[in-house]
Amino acid sequence: MSQALTRWRREGYGSTLIGSLVVLVFLFPVFWMVSTSLKAPAGIFATPPALIPSPLVFDAYLDAVFGDPDVVRAIGTSLVISTGAMLLTLALAAPAAYGLARLRLPGGALVLLLLLISQLLPSIVIAGPLFVLFTRLHLVNSYLGLILADTTLTLPFAVIVLRPFFLAVPSDLEAAALVDGATRWGSFFRITLPLVRGGLITVAAFSFLFAWGEFVFALSLTTGTEYQPVTVALNRLIGQYGTQWNSLMAISTTVALPIIAVFAGLQRFIVGGLTAGATKE
Amino acid sequence: MARAVVRPTHDSAVIRTGAARPLLRRLRLADYLFLLPALIFVATTMLYPVYSNLRMSLYDVSMMTFMSGNAPFVGLANYQTLVSDPAFRHAFVLSFLFTAGSLFFQFTIGFALALFFNRPFPGNGLLRALLLLAWLLPAVVSGSLFRWMLDGDYGVLNFALVQLDLLDDGRYWLIDPGTALAGTILANVWVGVPFNMALLLAGLGGIPTVLYEAARVDGASSFQQFRSLTLPLMRPVSLSVLLLGLIYTFKVFDLIYVMTKGGPVDATTTLPIYTYKLTFEFFRFGHGATAATLLLLGLVVVALLYLWASRREEMA
Repeated sequence: MSQALTRWRREGYGSTLIGSLVVLVFLFPVFWMVSTSLKAPAGIFATPPALIPSPLVFDAYLDAVFGDPDVVRAIGTSLVISTGAMLLTLALAAPAAYGLARLRLPGGALVLLLLLISQLLPSIVIAGPLFVLFTRLHLVNSYLGLILADTTLTLPFAVIVLRPFFLAVPSDLEAAALVDGATRWGSFFRITLPLVRGGLITVAAFSFLFAWGEFVFALSLTTGTEYQPVTVALNRLIGQYGTQWNSLMAISTTVALPIIAVFAGLQRFIVGGLTAGATKE
Repeated sequence: MARAVVRPTHDSAVIRTGAARPLLRRLRLADYLFLLPALIFVATTMLYPVYSNLRMSLYDVSMMTFMSGNAPFVGLANYQTLVSDPAFRHAFVLSFLFTAGSLFFQFTIGFALALFFNRPFPGNGLLRALLLLAWLLPAVVSGSLFRWMLDGDYGVLNFALVQLDLLDDGRYWLIDPGTALAGTILANVWVGVPFNMALLLAGLGGIPTVLYEAARVDGASSFQQFRSLTLPLMRPVSLSVLLLGLIYTFKVFDLIYVMTKGGPVDATTTLPIYTYKLTFEFFRFGHGATAATLLLLGLVVVALLYLWASRREEMA
């Protein structure tokens, strides 16, 4: 018995227990969101509130999420925009990060500094001028407009995260390809890109997540419900639903779901990317 | 096509030979093509808006002059108007309070968690990754979630506080102008704690363990180790994390907007919210551009401080 206790102590299971409790308490809001979304209207107003709803009721999802064509369309819009922003980010960031890492271009350090600073640019600062510019280009209320706007959030981050990955690829590999007659672009696509797959996945995941949760551009660059992403739809419904918290939490959970899914699947890429992107190089 | 044999640009002998020069220059141009698309994008969607704000801040752009396109040049008058505008000053003070409150709690709680998770134990990696979920949730989701938890009638926070005898009666956290800002700070702290923890953990991981071993051999208690080793060694990292947090917190818009829309009245109208209202609600475009420029200016100053701090950290 006491031997088991010593082993338990030595291996740090006590810390595991405390850590689990900390995580449970900290993530209680997420649990509460899901729990509320599965309650019947009367259950929301019960005192004391039930931790786990009984019976489990899916009405809020059927009515407020799948039963509302505006919300369904908003989910589709968000999917299109997030996927578009992810692809555009990869297309712009991968060659740029490669260029900054490999080619020792004069002015490269300046470009890097520019990207670092532009990462700090508040969306609210560029939303106004983008609105004016996009009005002229007929990009207000369009997928492309929102994809372009969301990419301003993801691109600097993507280049900063990707550059060290390219730096880590031994240049001998490319030199060999170049001697064999490949062009720079050819060796970039065939030799280098496959070697930085981890970085590309990190950047793709983050771009998708950022664009999916984006709110400022979605709010200021759309006027009707037709091109409204799901974040703006949720914000609009907060006013409309008032105290129907089960409906609001059902939509919130639906908006959070892709985040949780991507996070669960690509956890190690995301955890690494966070510290890499935030603390420069 | 271009053979790479001429590529080693650092070999000055190659550059000096006349024949290689034009080919080399062509290669250089081709190399810049890797950067070009991203640079064009940054220039049109990020630099141009900054320039556009700067220009518009010098003109008296209202709804009417915006439509007609003949706004008069007013020099720095917009800046004078804003700086002496009580609403702008109020927004600045609120931003300051929001940022200071958020940073204090994010950082201290984040630091405590980082210290805890810095020790190895089974499940450590999974648990600390799970915490990041709070940071990854879209601000609209966390905003509406905290609206619900802070609800005056049926919010779970009131229930918990009354049960614990910390409150006699529920409070209308986000409806009461006296507590609305605190409510948004609470939500923002929740979002920011995992971010602070992750960055501070990276910093703690960089401290060589031999130092602690040496301290233990010398008989230092764990509190002494913390005070004389961890704290001073973490100072540069902490400075970076705080400056980065300052930048990210000062520009928070979506979370506050979703929770309170800047209200009640203007109890949570921080600088980013005020900037948005000037342009998109009051249509005072000139003033909106001026506020945006001032906001950016402040952030750039902090950003330069951050770069300076992290460079010092690298050299240390």
